[in-house]
This record gives sequence, C-alpha cells and structure tokens, in this order.
Amino acid sequence: MEKSGSADSLGSKRSSSRQPSVDSLTSTNTTRSDRSAHLRSAVSPDAASARTDLGAEVLKESSRIAEGELQLLPRESVQDTASDVTYICPFLGAIRGSLTVTNYRLFFKCLDKDPAFVLDLPVGVISRVEKIGAISAQGEVSFGLVCKDIRNLRFAHRYQEGSLKKSIFELVNKFAFPVSNALRMFAFEYGQPFPENGWKVYDPLAEYKRQGLPNESWRITKANEHYDVCETYPATLVVPANIPDEELKRVAAFRAKGRIPVLSWIHPETQATVTRCSQPMVGVNGKRSKEDEKHLQAIMDANAQSHKLFIFDARPPVNAAANKMKGGGFESEDAYQNAELVFLDIHNIHVMRESLRKLKEVVYPNIEESHWLSNLESTHWLEHIKLILAGALRIADKVESGKTSVVVHCSDGWDRTAQLSSLAMLMLDGFYRTLRGFQVLVEKEWLSFGHRFQLRIGHGDRNHTDADRSPVFLQFIDCVWQMTRQFPAAFEFNEFFLITILDHLYSCLFGTFLCNSEQQRLEEDLPKRTVSLWSYINSQHEEFTNPLYVDYANHVLYPVVSMRHLELWVGYYIRWNPRMRPQEPLHQHYRELLAKRAELQRKVEELQREVAGRVAVAPPEKAGSPAGSPVQTCV
Amino acid sequence: PLSKNPPEQHFQLSPAVRIAPTNPASFWLSAGEIVVTEVNFVRKCVGPNSSPDDLWGKLVCTNFKISFVTHVVYDLLPLQKFQYTNRLLGEHDIPLAGVEQVVTVNEAKGKQKVLGSNQKLKFSPTELMVYCKDFRMVRFRFDEAGPDSTKKVCLAIAHYSQPADAQLLFGFEYTGKCFHSDRANGLDPGSSLQTALFDCSSDWDREIKRTGASDWRVCSVNEGYAVSPSLPEFFVVPASLADQDLKQFSVSFAGKRIPMWCWNHSNGSALVRMASIRDPLQQRNLDRRICSAITKSHPKCSDVLKSDLDRSLPNIQEIQAAFVRLRQICVIEPFEENEERWLSSLESSKWLEYVRAFLKHSVEVVYMLEGQLCSVMLQEEEDRDLACVVSSLVQLMLDPHYRSLGGFQSLVQKEWVMAGHRFLDRCNHLKKNDGEECPLFLLFLDCVWQLMNQYPAAFEFTETYLTVLSDSMWIPVFSTFLFNCPRHCAERSRDFAQSESIKLGENKALRFPCVWYWGHQFSVKDQALFNSPLYVGKSVTCVHNGTVKTFRRTKKSHSATLRGPPSLPNGLTVELDTLTRRNSLALRLKPDPWQPREVPESPAERFSCEWLSRPVDLQGLLLPQLLPSHLQLWRLYFLRWVPEAQISRGGSVMAFHRLSLLADEIETLQNQLRQHRGGTPASTPASTPGTPDQESSRMYFKAGTPDDLPSTPDYLTSSFPFSPVGNLCRRNILGTPFSKFLSGAKIWVSNENLANETL
Repeated sequence: MEKSGSADSLGSKRSSSRQPSVDSLTSTNTTRSDRSAHLRSAVSPDAASARTDLGAEVLKESSRIAEGELQLLPRESVQDTASDVTYICPFLGAIRGSLTVTNYRLFFKCLDKDPAFVLDLPVGVISRVEKIGAISAQGEVSFGLVCKDIRNLRFAHRYQEGSLKKSIFELVNKFAFPVSNALRMFAFEYGQPFPENGWKVYDPLAEYKRQGLPNESWRITKANEHYDVCETYPATLVVPANIPDEELKRVAAFRAKGRIPVLSWIHPETQATVTRCSQPMVGVNGKRSKEDEKHLQAIMDANAQSHKLFIFDARPPVNAAANKMKGGGFESEDAYQNAELVFLDIHNIHVMRESLRKLKEVVYPNIEESHWLSNLESTHWLEHIKLILAGALRIADKVESGKTSVVVHCSDGWDRTAQLSSLAMLMLDGFYRTLRGFQVLVEKEWLSFGHRFQLRIGHGDRNHTDADRSPVFLQFIDCVWQMTRQFPAAFEFNEFFLITILDHLYSCLFGTFLCNSEQQRLEEDLPKRTVSLWSYINSQHEEFTNPLYVDYANHVLYPVVSMRHLELWVGYYIRWNPRMRPQEPLHQHYRELLAKRAELQRKVEELQREVAGRVAVAPPEKAGSPAGSPVQTCV
Repeated sequence: PLSKNPPEQHFQLSPAVRIAPTNPASFWLSAGEIVVTEVNFVRKCVGPNSSPDDLWGKLVCTNFKISFVTHVVYDLLPLQKFQYTNRLLGEHDIPLAGVEQVVTVNEAKGKQKVLGSNQKLKFSPTELMVYCKDFRMVRFRFDEAGPDSTKKVCLAIAHYSQPADAQLLFGFEYTGKCFHSDRANGLDPGSSLQTALFDCSSDWDREIKRTGASDWRVCSVNEGYAVSPSLPEFFVVPASLADQDLKQFSVSFAGKRIPMWCWNHSNGSALVRMASIRDPLQQRNLDRRICSAITKSHPKCSDVLKSDLDRSLPNIQEIQAAFVRLRQICVIEPFEENEERWLSSLESSKWLEYVRAFLKHSVEVVYMLEGQLCSVMLQEEEDRDLACVVSSLVQLMLDPHYRSLGGFQSLVQKEWVMAGHRFLDRCNHLKKNDGEECPLFLLFLDCVWQLMNQYPAAFEFTETYLTVLSDSMWIPVFSTFLFNCPRHCAERSRDFAQSESIKLGENKALRFPCVWYWGHQFSVKDQALFNSPLYVGKSVTCVHNGTVKTFRRTKKSHSATLRGPPSLPNGLTVELDTLTRRNSLALRLKPDPWQPREVPESPAERFSCEWLSRPVDLQGLLLPQLLPSHLQLWRLYFLRWVPEAQISRGGSVMAFHRLSLLADEIETLQNQLRQHRGGTPASTPASTPGTPDQESSRMYFKAGTPDDLPSTPDYLTSSFPFSPVGNLCRRNILGTPFSKFLSGAKIWVSNENLANETL
C-alpha cells in the first residue's frame, strides 16, 4: 500500500511535467546518471514499455541530462564560468572546454567534441585544491583536485597573475570549503520538497518498540534528554531496568566521553543483547567503578539464558593496553565477574585512512595489470574489511548461537563500535536488510550514537590533512556490499543504493550526514533547514530495490569471512575507469522477466475471457476469473 | 561444523551396523563393469579427524570406479548430499580415471606410500587417501577392516587407476557391452541431439550455410585419414583450392595439417587455423598461396592477418604448472594458513593471468575480424592446443549461436574433438609422466565462465553445466575425452572390436557415446540444472497482436527515447548510435579526435573500450572486460569441496533459485497461452526452435502454487549442487609426519613413488 502510494505521488509529479529540480538532482550526481543510463540501457524497449504498463515502475525519462546543459538545483547559482579550461583526463588525454562553478557543483563541458564530454561533480567531493607547478610558457596554470570519492582531477587554464579577475579555481576553493570560508553549506540552501520527509524515518521509540522494548529487564530512559549524561549520545537510551538514572551518571564518569553501556539490539527470543559503550577509564592504576561493574552485571542478568557476558574490544590488545597511558584501557576479568574479554584486532582510524590512500594509488587512474592482486593485498584494505566482518560475525554468533549478551566497545565507541554493532545487527535482524530498515540502522547506530561524520569526512573543511578524517563509514558500506554479494536475495536494497549513500555522504546536498552528533544536529536545526537523503531515496525507492529480495523470517546471515570470498568492490572503487562496465546487473534481468510474466499473465487472462465469452454457456466461475492464473503477481 | 572428536575407540561399530547388509540402492554396476575386490567395515571420513558423522561401509574397487557403499542408509542432512544423481556413479564413488594419486598410510608405524601400478605394499594400511583430478581428497580408514582385503583393495585401486594402455580404459568394455546389448550405443544416439558432431560433411555444409561462407567448400581429401592423421575426415577449405593442391600442400605442414576453416563473420571475414610449415623452402610460397586463397574467399578480398599463438600465449607446461599451484592453494594448503597471503598466492599461481591472456588474445582476434574486416589465421606449431582455446573463444564472443547449449557443444565438437585436441594425452588418462598433461580444456571452460560471469543472460547454460562437463572428462566412457583425434578414435575402436571379435555391422566402428548424450549421466530433471533461467525466460516467445515476437532476438536498433544517451563513467556522454552495431564499425574506428591517452592503447584495446561504453546486445558481439580486477576465481569449480569456503544459504545459487522460479512461471504461462491458442487452430503460432516442451519445464526449481510463501530450500549453498562433506579431508596435518609429506611439492606433481616408504 505504502509503496503504491509513493509511486502515485511521484507519478503525479512527473505528469505535472518536468520538475526541473528532480531532473537536476539526478544530474548533480555523475554516478547516478551514469548508473541509470547503464541500467536503462540493459532494458530492452519491450520490457521497458511493459514496465510502464505495470504502473509500478517510476521511469524518470526526464532524469537524463539534456546534453551538455547545466541544470541548476533550486537556489543553486552560477558563480563563474571560465571558457578556456583544459581538463587533463587520465583516460582520454587533454580536453578543452568550459568550466562552470556554482555554489554546489563544478561543471566542465566540452561540446564541440563528438561525443560531447561532461564532467559534473558536487564541490563537496573535493578534499583539496592545489596548484601544480608554475605557470607554463603558454601562460597556463595547472590545478589538481583531490576528491574524496577515489578520483583526482586535473585542469589547466590560462590565467594572468596580477589581473583583476580571479582564477576560477579560487572560486572552487571557496565553495568547496564553505566551513573554512564562513559560508553556508549548500544543504542549507537546497530546499527541494519531496513527498516523504526522510527525517521521520527513524523514531527511536518506534524502533525500540519493534524490538519489544521496554520490557521487564530493560527500560527506556530520558536521562540524556538534554545531552548532559553524554553529549555524543542520543536523547533516548535503553538501559537495564534496575539501574536508576542517577547511577547512569556515575557509570558515565567511568566510561570515555561518558559513553555508557546501552542497548543496541535485543534478540526477540533469547533476550540476549548487543550493547555498546566506550572504553572504561581504567588507567595505569587499574581504577575500578562499582557502578560500572554493577551495570554490566545488570546487562548480563537481563538475559536469563546465559550466565556469562562477552565483552568485545574492537582494538588489537596492544592498542587497548596503550590506551591505559591515556587513562583508558579495558575491563579486567577480575573486576567483571563472569565476563570474558575478547579483542577483535581492528586497527584505528589512522591505519584505515592510510590503507584507503594506498588503495586509491592502486586503483586510480589505472590498474597495473601484472601485479593487481599483490598490489591489492599490499593495501590491506580487504584484510581490514575481513577483520571488521569477522568481528561482527563473532558478535552475531555469540548472540544467536551462544544466546549470550555482548558488550562492544573500542576507545570512544563511535567508530569501530558502530561498525561492529551495526553489522552484527544486519546479520541478526532481517528488518535492517530492508530498504527502510537499513535507513533506521544508519540513523540509529551511526547518526544518533554520534559517529563523527563532520570530522571523519571533513565536510566543507579545507584542512585535508586533519588526522580525524577516516573512511570508517565507507568501510561499513563496503562490508554491507560484501554481504550482499554472498547473499544476493537477502537484502531489499541494491548496490546502487549503497553507492548513492556514499556519493551523498560527500556531496553536502542533504543534511543527513552533517554534524557529529544528535545534539549538534538539533542545534543546527537540520531537520527543518535541510533535506534528508532518505527523502530523496524513499521517493524513488524502485531504483534502489533488489527485485531478488526474499524476506526470510528470522534468518540469520553468517557470511563466510575469508579472503576467498571477499572482493574489491569494483563497482565503487573502479567506476571512474572507462574500461570498466558495471557487472551486468542480475536485478535488471529479473525485472525484465517480471515484466514478461505480467504481460503473459495478461494475455492468458485475456484469452480465458475470450474463450469464456465464446462458449456462451460456460460455467460462470471460469469467466474472466483471475484464479485461472497459476501464479501470484507481486511486482 | 564437525568439531573435536573423542578418541577413536568410542566409535566401535555397533552390532546392528555390523550385521546390516550393504545398502543395495547405492551400488550398481554399469555395462561391462566388474568387481575386482572389496573390503568391509571401512570408514569414510567426513572431516579432518575421526568423527561420529563418519560413514561406515564397504569399499569396492571395480574396473571403473572406487565405490563406497554404506552399510546402512544414512539419514544424511540435505547439506551433505549432492543435489543430483549421476547414473554412472554413486554418491560416494570416484571414477578410477579421476584418481590423481593414491596414498596409503600406516599411522602406527609412521609409514606412507604413494602407490603406483603393480607395486607391493610392505605394511598394512590403516588409511587410504585418494587425491582426485577434480580436486577432491577422499579419506578412508581401515581400523575395523581385515588387513588382507584392505591391502588388496588399495593395490587394486592403484593398479586399475593407472592403466598401461588406452584399451584398458573402461570405455572400451562399456561400449563393447553396450554394442551387444539391445540398447546399442547407449541411449539412442542420433535422436534428440541438437549438437552437430562434425563427423560428416553435412554438418560442415550446414555450418558454411549458417555463417554465410560463400566461397568455402567441404573437402573430403582426408577421407579414411588418407592425408593427415590428426585432421577430421571432412573439413572446410577455400573454394579456390582444388583437392590436388591440398594434397600437395599437406606435405609441408606439421602433422600434414592443411589449414582448416573455423568460422565466418557475416562481413565475410574468415577464421582459419593452421599448423606450422615444416619445410622452410616452401614456407614463403606456401604461405602466399594459402593467403591468397583465403583472400579470394573473402567477398571484399581483404587481407589475411596472422595471429601467432605460440609467441603470445603460455605453453602447455606453464599452464599445467599454474594449475598445480592453484590446486595447492585451493585445496592442499590448510585453509587458515594461506588466508593472509591468499591474493598474492592466487596471483603467483598465474592461473588468472593465463585466463586473461587467452581472453585478451581472443579479443584481439575478434578485433581483426570485426573491426578490421580481415580474415584471421591462427598459427600454432601443431594447431592442436592453444588454437582450440582461441578459436572457440573468438566464436563465442562473435556468434550468439555458440552461447546456446547445442551451439556450445557443437563448438567443442568442432574446435576440440574434430580438430584433434589430444584429450587422451592432455587428460593424462594413462597416468604417464611425460609432461603432456595439461588442463587446457578446463582453462577454456574457465574463460567461458569469466564471460558468463560478466554477461549472465547471454548464455543458455549455467556454470553447473561447465563444471559437470569438466567432471565428465574423468568418466572414461565418452569418446569426447578419450582420444587424441578422430582417427585415433576410429582405429582404437576397430582394434578393440577385432580383439574382442565383435562383429561390426554397417557402422564400421564401435561408436562410443559422446558426452553430449547427457542421458547417460543424468535424468531429465537433473539436466535442468544446465539451463539458465535468464536465457530460458527471455527466449519465451510472446504473441503480440497476432504476430510472433521472439524476445531472444533484440538486434534491432533500440529506441532512443526510452533509454537516453548512455554515458561513460567519467562523464563522457556518447551520441547514441542508431546504426546497427556492425554497420557502424567503420565510423567507430576513425582515429580518436582527442589527444592520445597517457597510457598507450592498442587499437584492439580502443575497440574494446569503445564497445564497452555502449549498451550490450546479448545477441551480438560480446567482449569480456579485461581489467584484472574483473577476472575472478571460478569459485564453484575450485572451491566447491572446501568446507570452510561454503556459504550456507548463500552464494549465486540464491539468485539462480529466484530466477528459476520466475522463469518457470513464465514457461507455464507460455504453455497455457499455447493451449488456449491451440483451441483455435488457425491462430496457433508457429513454434520457434528452442521454445520449451509443453510437458517438461526446463527449470530445476519449479514455481509453486500462488499460496506458497516465498521460501528457499535450506540445502542451498555456494557449493550447490555439490557438497563438500566428505570430499575434502585434509588431515589435521600440523605436527604429524604426514604434514611434511603433504607440504612437499611432489604430491600432485608426479606420480613417482616417493623414494622410500618410511620417513
């Protein structure tokens, strides 16, 4: 019902002819339009027309870029256009054309070439603008743009020093880094209305209710309503029923940044829970906290099935120990009776950043053909992915098979902890594998629990060397992609959905990934002042849906976490290479078959009716009865 | 998972099992098969250690297979079973021809021995490890079995798995017996086989017509193998060459192999394969004459381009070495131990590099034929190995006919069997040690898999089909894989008939069944595993406004309004090409107006790149993506026995299952539609070749009734339809003397008896 509703509303929007904003939204994102071009191209005309017959498919004919034309978003304004710019494409060589900079994007086009060439990217993707070398003999200056999405772009243009007119790249510099230039991010300008308000996707009370909470062992507390127990935690928390709010503050004093152990997920049958927190402030002297010990005991007691508690420390043991010097550390098994501590050996944000840097070197622009696999191995990217997935798998297995509650933490509990808890929940609970459930998962475990998106991505910030930047969320999405590869029918969303999330992680078009915590988002009034990414996604969910999806009730996924099955996500990391075509999407073929089935069903029914009509005295139940169709229609 | 085990004494046989009769359902003899020897109370291990899940039964050695017959019917979990039944082999059977190495062990004495043919065994084995060519490692324990019969069985297995002569291969007994029995030559050959065998001139004639090769003719100079011993009796040559010329030329070619036509492009370009010219004096002259004959047969008289395969592709020894290394890392080395170095180990095996090299070379040949509009001559020293791979791949890429099941089989028949690929030597059925063994055919199947992996809807068959086809190499019954060339087949059959005094009828020779008679191995239901739902679903014809419309043919130009301009990932938008693909070629090949790339690109690469930037027409040209990041390990084949790598309720079979259900529904609807139409004969649409039978669905998984909830069988795993249980018993080798032995490179490499029995 809900689906057809939103399809209708979109349909009506479409019929009100070419909403420019929708068009341009799609054209803002090169990946998106490319992908949809590919998707569309895989559909034969027959199937596509059959698809429109079904009425369920939202075919956005208007989503194409009118060739080479820049289509502005609402409140997007052209800042400047330079006509004599050369884009030095690593694949095609130098291309001369014009470059336009708006407050949202950088748009390069070269129309006098056949075929035309267009490069269109949100300036938010840019992490660094640098001048390369000196002015050449021809009076040309080279600029390099390092991008967050595994691209480097290089331009050259004629530019006279000392002239009154500024280089267009100074404008790029200005609009790519609004934070550093005291400008407003474009997300605050963009005001595109969508039929659905994505800011309402996640309602903590509804989500906890879905999990069966509160119950006799767990209660929902408003202790953090004003963010004074923990400023990086959400307002709504679930804690053991027998721990009063006053005690939570004392527990908070013993946990780094006040991030106390709270419930993320509860098993519907066994009551085993996944709880998350930050490291205990043990320090070199091995400090203890009675309240913290009691708190963990309460978590264990809340699960009658097991008299043990597993504490998963995401870090390598060496790092965990080193944190003692800074007042942190890990739970000693002496202090925490019946608790077993397991280290998961996942490295810190700096190691991950370095690994991605190496990966970029290996995949962009070109792949060295003879040593591809060993080069890939030397980046350790897949190895890190493996460790994260392996950690999540151990957590899921402990909860599902061991019926034991687990506590997950790293140092601050907002990077590795978020990866582990959300992936474990994805394995354990089929709800999070739906299109909406996944949005809830991201809103809950990442956004509300204070993964520091602003710092990790560096939205609009010029300081590209900031040591706080790290691809933690990218790794999570990569892990999800790995799981979708192993279980092609277990996820309601498709690869394009994951890529879209990553693209808008950087684009700063939507408010979703801005700021570092729930508190900050409320202070900035993001739900009022910006559009949520989920508004956009849920308004055209069809495109992000995996038609092979089957909803298996209570089906726990155990991926095989082995290098034998892990793959580099070529559809994301290598998508800029023109020699790469996305793997033929099975989904598309499946959709074609669905259309074919619908067409045949219609024909069979027509014929049945015809036959019934001809045999005038036919038994009435036969006439036009759709029961004659042996199959269900579920598109 | 089969976990730690209590000491073995716990697994004394219960009396009930001891007296239980052998389960008869799981053991039968094929025609001509005899039991050599057997031993009772054998344990087949299902894990690295002894386990309560181990199976108890009788180990039988026949002249065809190693059979393990369980004493009782075990209530196996679905996961432990294969999801198909082979009519020639039981659940636990191993064909002797598929045995790579036989190792006997006496744990107590710390002894082991690789058993060769006709050898002695000085200790009584407590354990037998059978290493198979298809990567299985099966382990039997004899703790409860009689020592004498144990020894006998082990020696018999070693002996019969290493026949001294080709005539000792089981296929001869089988075919001989079949010939006598009523069901001559197995299951009614000739009928219902949609595979052209190319053993008669009419098959070649049809192929000439199908490809529109107007100036080519079938020649019969080699009838009775009068000219070349390794060429088929009939093949195709330029029409301008007379039989007399051919005979004269043949003398100068290696193996007297006159250049042989493979295929024609619709633009008139021909693909020809040729052995080297042995006579240096004749070389230039002969070369010129052959080329000019081929040029004459081209409608536009365009040039002949030569493609030297020996120079640009790995040789058979290198391919074999890569295969051995790959086997080492996939199944021999302990799973966890090489996990960290998996990618670099995979790289250093070079297997994927070679797969890529063959694909890349084939793309270059495709470019010459399609892009340069030239005929191509594949040159290889003997023209019996690398050329088989390249010519088949080129045709698969260019001609959609070969991507159908029947077409693919015809292709193998034409470019491998008839062209004289030495299957007997390359499979090393006689277990010789002469460096002739090479998994070239498997390499080809892997290349096909890579194409299939990239374009799943372009092929009528599945990866299960490719896997089963390659497994069939180790069932020495099929003419396809038993001989080195057609003449070899004919002579051997004649000799055998004489020696067995079989009176031959009108057919001059015993006819071995070829592997394409899948009924020898599988029921109709199991053969449905071969059919790709994507292809089947789409091939269904639709009656549209009274006219028959085939979904399979989508060659017409696509409507631009529906699809919009495709664009390159880098933002490059491409003018939609409204001309048909082939006609537009000249346009696309004009020099790039932009400055050259920093990385120099060959014309073939540019051709490929251009092609990749366009929407695919699955019924047209198909080029693989050759970035190394796009070539993958063929996991179903190489990892299907590895328990640790098995994804439970996961893997591509999950998508296959969903697609099959849908394709099945479509077929059912189609049949209904036809039935309705059948009611009014006037409007019955002409049935199109390839449309499904009314009765039998072509899908392995069938759609249920509308009320069925969507459900997926629990037994689906990434190994489907195979099962790793009991098929990969690496011993827990750490710390045992066995580990030293196993880690040595010698295993799998040679069949030589390791110097001594003791370590």
